[in-house]
Amino acid sequence: MLPRQPAKLLRLHFSEHDRFNGAPLYEAVADACRRLGIAGITVFRAVEGYGESAGMHTRRLLGHDQPMVATIVDTAENVGRLMPELAQMLDTGMIAISDVEMIRIEAHGPESGT
Amino acid sequence: MLSRGPAKKVTIYVNEDTRHHMDSLWSALLHFLRSRSVAGATVLRPVAGFGAHQALHSMDQEERMEHMPIRIEFIDSAERVHEILPSLYDMVEDGVIEVQDTRIVKAAVKGRKPPARTPHREISAPAKLIRIYLGEADKHGGEPLYDAIVKRLLMMEVAGATVYRGMFGYGAKRHKHREGFLISRDCPIMISVIEQPSRLDEILDAVAPMMQDGLIVISDVESHRFVHALPPDTTEEDSDTNASPTAR
Repeated sequence: MLPRQPAKLLRLHFSEHDRFNGAPLYEAVADACRRLGIAGITVFRAVEGYGESAGMHTRRLLGHDQPMVATIVDTAENVGRLMPELAQMLDTGMIAISDVEMIRIEAHGPESGT
Repeated sequence: MLSRGPAKKVTIYVNEDTRHHMDSLWSALLHFLRSRSVAGATVLRPVAGFGAHQALHSMDQEERMEHMPIRIEFIDSAERVHEILPSLYDMVEDGVIEVQDTRIVKAAVKGRKPPARTPHREISAPAKLIRIYLGEADKHGGEPLYDAIVKRLLMMEVAGATVYRGMFGYGAKRHKHREGFLISRDCPIMISVIEQPSRLDEILDAVAPMMQDGLIVISDVESHRFVHALPPDTTEEDSDTNASPTAR
């Protein structure tokens, strides 16, 4: 049986053109995650959508502004440290948090032999 | 499926060599009827005949052989016939279409159950959402790991899996994944799987050993499945999650 631990999953919804201090928002968020030692982040670009910041985001040839979703998974404690930073960076957008269980698989971890 | 009572019988007369696009007309008509789930159709080749062109076609005349008459017959309800008749009218550019009233006395299908044409049903149940995070460049036995995982899940008859490619991220490997040019890119990949809770351990035991590093995240969700026309016996088994979790 693989060891599972309770964790939080954050989903940040924003748009591709969002920036923070001149850098794309997703890069700024990833840097903040690294600085705080957050386990990982994955950024997805969606095909179409709408939300807080704008009307319909859709893929066009020029000047497209697609919706983006960043997912972050870590312990409640680490997520708690990250939240104030995110709140500061996100101008408009949304953060959804859910309770999850996580299994970390590491190259030389104890469970790699199973 | 035909039922007892009044129905319509449609007979179409065409020539064997009449074309419809790339196909012969009689074959196109038959395929069309099948695609519209008509209860059944029969193609008959008569011994001899003549039509609007007044030329006699029979098996005896070599030069007229390829011009033989063909007759296509089918029976269905008045509604279905009314529905598809305009398409038949359009397809038959050289021939005759005839509709007659008929009455079905017996329509029996031995053995096999006819496919039910029911509207979709909604099955709501608590489920587990499993997110598997890995790298696009990860390999398993020479093939991409995400491919190998999806194939394994498919073989296990896991309800479904979706693979997402992220454009940016970092994780267990501590190096940045990012979108590159067409070749040798290593983006983050996430596979999401939704299944009934009883199958969770089985899925984790299959997937985790395939991964060198990465992350698996499990959360509780409520699934609403929309399913079409499952035969009654398998539906029972499907919703009965505790009875036989591995027997599916």
